[in-house]
Amino acid sequence: MSASVLLMQDIAKTFPGVVALDAASLSVRPGEIHGLVGENGAGKSTIIKVLAGVYHADDGTVSIQDTPVSPVTSEVIHAAGVRFIHQELHLVPHFTVTESVFMGQEITTRLGLSRRLMCARAETFFRDVLDVEINGDILIRDLGTAERKLVQIARALIDDQARLVVFDEPTAPLASGEIEKLFRAIRRLKDRGIAIIYVSHYLSEITDICDRVTVFRNGRDVAVLDKVDENCANELIKAMVGREIDALYPKSGHTRGALVLQAKGLGDTGYFSDISLSAHSGEIVGIAGLIGSGREELIDTLYGLRPARTGEVTLHGKPVRFSSPADAVARGMVLVPRDRRRDGLVLDMSVSENINLASLEEVSCYGIELRNRARERASRQIRELDIRPDNPAIISRQLSGGNQQKTVLARWLATRAAIFLLDEPTVGVDVGAKVEIYQLIENLARNGAAILLSSSDPGELIGMCDRVLVMMRGRITHETSAVGLSIDQLVAMTTGASTQNSAEGHADAR
Amino acid sequence: MPMPASARPESGASGLSRIIDAAPLVIFLGMLIYIGFNAPNFMSFGTMQLVLNQSVPVVVVCLGLSIVVMAGGDDVVSGGIDLSIPATAVICAGIIAQLVTNTDTPLLLAIALALGAAMFIGIVAGLMVTRLGMTPLLTTLALFVAVVGVTKVVTSSRRINVDDPFIIFLRDGEILGISAGVVITLALVLVFYHFIHRTKWGLNLQAVGGSCEAAEISGLKPGHFLFWAFVIAAFTGFLASFFLLARGSGSSPGTENNLMLEMVLATFLGAAFSPRRVVTLWGAVLGAVLVAALSIGFKTMGVNVFWTGLIKGSLILVVLALAALSSRVKS
Repeated sequence: MSASVLLMQDIAKTFPGVVALDAASLSVRPGEIHGLVGENGAGKSTIIKVLAGVYHADDGTVSIQDTPVSPVTSEVIHAAGVRFIHQELHLVPHFTVTESVFMGQEITTRLGLSRRLMCARAETFFRDVLDVEINGDILIRDLGTAERKLVQIARALIDDQARLVVFDEPTAPLASGEIEKLFRAIRRLKDRGIAIIYVSHYLSEITDICDRVTVFRNGRDVAVLDKVDENCANELIKAMVGREIDALYPKSGHTRGALVLQAKGLGDTGYFSDISLSAHSGEIVGIAGLIGSGREELIDTLYGLRPARTGEVTLHGKPVRFSSPADAVARGMVLVPRDRRRDGLVLDMSVSENINLASLEEVSCYGIELRNRARERASRQIRELDIRPDNPAIISRQLSGGNQQKTVLARWLATRAAIFLLDEPTVGVDVGAKVEIYQLIENLARNGAAILLSSSDPGELIGMCDRVLVMMRGRITHETSAVGLSIDQLVAMTTGASTQNSAEGHADAR
Repeated sequence: MPMPASARPESGASGLSRIIDAAPLVIFLGMLIYIGFNAPNFMSFGTMQLVLNQSVPVVVVCLGLSIVVMAGGDDVVSGGIDLSIPATAVICAGIIAQLVTNTDTPLLLAIALALGAAMFIGIVAGLMVTRLGMTPLLTTLALFVAVVGVTKVVTSSRRINVDDPFIIFLRDGEILGISAGVVITLALVLVFYHFIHRTKWGLNLQAVGGSCEAAEISGLKPGHFLFWAFVIAAFTGFLASFFLLARGSGSSPGTENNLMLEMVLATFLGAAFSPRRVVTLWGAVLGAVLVAALSIGFKTMGVNVFWTGLIKGSLILVVLALAALSSRVKS
């Protein structure tokens, strides 16, 4: 048997303006489960896409079973026995399990499809290879999420040619109880001599299932752990993070005012449950959590975009029930959405129109917009926030990401809202604009606004917030003061490497 | 898109969604029963046969529309839909009638020219949707209008009688005591059914419509299937033209509007018959027969023709509204 199933050496890949991979290497041995970890943007997905033939590397070599592969195309890689289990399920809800497993590789006779044979083959595969019983005639939409994941795996492996399987965040859609089912299947694959690359943000899963782990940071492989046990989570985090909190943040400590927003026992089936939180005037409360932790859905629910199935929200001590964002805005609660291009701005409207969108009644008279008053208002906001170029008539689409985000903020600043929900406010924004946005948020807090800041950047949360709530799989698992919190500690909490109550000395005195 | 992490996504709402899913059928059967009690001789063998004969052209175009919906997905706006099929049927009928009756062209040559016209329409629709990425709804609506316009030019917007023996056979002939048109249509349905549900190609076409990404990951090319779906749909329009000629003893102007209305109504009503709640061939066929029964029922009851249009249009809205409601309840 050869020394490695897969050997990727010195892979380089540059996108315009970004070095995604810089002499990165990855080596996978036969029959092992190899973990691949790193923060967002570390280069994990880029190297997987190079292997898949989606991206073509600028430099470096790829060998499978000690045979160099060149060029790397999806066909060659498939023929060499490499399979990919994508994060999304990509199944047809009204197809049967059998039809889904054999999609694109149906067994036929001269008379047409051999449904019986395919069904039997699929059921045998589930029993023997994945160690579960799944009826081949059942519809996908009647299956639970874990079973759907297994159907997706079966589709990739049914031809029996797989030697290396890449799992990309396979547990992201699963509830914690369903994960064991998937792990049992993955271990069975390993027992059959199939090598596995396991990409995940959940370090608890990595230490649970992997034999070896490669850590990526800034486009390189910075560490390889040859022996993995529960105790190496800290070592992984150190290798992943490798930095201190930047000096971007204007934080100066806030004076906490009256209780403004409170949620009790908030829940939405399948997304989050039993969420209780509070925010005071003049306070910035952070919400940390991986993508899929329920953080996004929680923000949407607070804002009235999604109905809450259970629990209640009180504003200024009065219970409220928002059936739409308009209700929330009317009560002084506003949202800066994570996807500003889709949800935050009307891209083809001018900056002035976007800024005045939420306060049209102030710039109109008997329902007719007063152009001059509107433009004046917009110009004032543009000056205050330093939006560039400083022309209120320019179409929003033409602004840079940072200036678009400032336009969204300008709209809500104009309404003098009391509660700001900020969902990833600095995603895709350059450093200069980041500093300005942080200063704006800080000013809001100082002027007495209550701010909920949901972010996937641990540095930003620690740098900006007074308190941080950590969400994992739909629950708040930690609540801690941001003072003295290190990035390592916060990453350990969000990735499940640190269990409840283990962040000593950071329990918040509520 | 985050999948709900709960074990059964449809749990809880399943009772309500089942009621909504069954509602179009209940409404339809209710109307039929009402007609049965109020229209003279509605529940008779003769009427049944009349219903089947009347439904034949609709059944054939419904086959085409079902295939396009299967390949393009059942979202009415962004998914697959082909409104041009009835226009294709009408122009083929017009070409055949004009050439055979007014210019003494041999029937086979006239048929070949009609087939050519149909294929041209199908290819244009397919290319526009798959290559240029135009919305099927608007593209095929525009094609419908354009093709109907050309038909009026070809036939001078006049009724043209056809007394060719083949067409007469389709109208009056019998096979094993059953009307020839019905038997031939049944055979067509069986061929299409085999093609769509029993072959790899047909199943892959359904996969493309069910989830474009899933099909692509499995190595299928969605554009290929959608293109051919439009070509097949145009072909069903061509086939339907014979039954139009037989039903009307020639080509007559204005047939296309009713045909389109009944095609859309029947196909989407058909989804209510399918255990998977999606557009299927058998569902569309049954839907077409039911719609024909309704039309004839109203006629024998003496309901004003103009009211029938309102009733059918409202039924389409009800069926589509219930479909939209059902997907909202499930999500």
